[in-house]
Amino acid sequence: MERHMGSSTRTEKGMTIIDVVGQIDLGSSPALRKTLLESLKGTDRVAVNLIAVNYIDSSGIASLLEVLKEARQSKKRFVLFGLTSAVSKVLQLTRLTGVFEIRENEQQALEA
Amino acid sequence: MLSHPRFLSVVRAAVGQIGLVYGLTDDSCRGVTLAVDEAVANIIRHAYKNRYDQEIELNCRAGADQLEFTLVDRGEPVDPTRICAQPLDEVSLSGRGTHLIKATMDEIHYEQIPRGNQLRLIKHLSAAKVNVDGTDRSSN
Repeated sequence: MERHMGSSTRTEKGMTIIDVVGQIDLGSSPALRKTLLESLKGTDRVAVNLIAVNYIDSSGIASLLEVLKEARQSKKRFVLFGLTSAVSKVLQLTRLTGVFEIRENEQQALEA
Repeated sequence: MLSHPRFLSVVRAAVGQIGLVYGLTDDSCRGVTLAVDEAVANIIRHAYKNRYDQEIELNCRAGADQLEFTLVDRGEPVDPTRICAQPLDEVSLSGRGTHLIKATMDEIHYEQIPRGNQLRLIKHLSAAKVNVDGTDRSSN
């Protein structure tokens, strides 16, 4: 059975990494938004690992955007990595690929 | 179904399978799934103002050359002038759902009917399609 959504937080080389799993939709995006905003409070650099996210809709994108805006306002780094084709496609359709900082994998995300 | 977000995954699973059975490419299948998901989410948020105890009807009709998804709700009618995609040169937090629907479906029809608001989303099937029994009729 497809998992709905879950996330876990860890730290690597001073960067907070949120590993997200499952599907991000209207039901799960508020929890993700809350987790990401909380993570921003305690660090200058946040990376979101989306390698295990197989679905995202506009509410998920809106949550990511909101966190991005908060990061920019507080001059913190917010990067996405490990985008699946499903996530990439939605970002392309909403013309947001140039808005977020996107890296292919964790190693690249850690390199500042 | 109820207007609760927990049913979105059920909708996606069903729509995704329908797309596969009717021979949509993976990309188109994902697009149709996304569109129907966004439409249901819009009903929950806007027509029903995030009330989770209301009813949403979702039907699928497969024709010879198209898949048609019909959604009916009894919530607040949508102002047709507001069914417009968010200008995507702005980094805004709203309006992208409608844009995604328009970007992935071939036809969109909204109208008010006696029992509520009706949205029809239509995807044209490509020439290379598969019968429900699995045979490929594109070469016939």
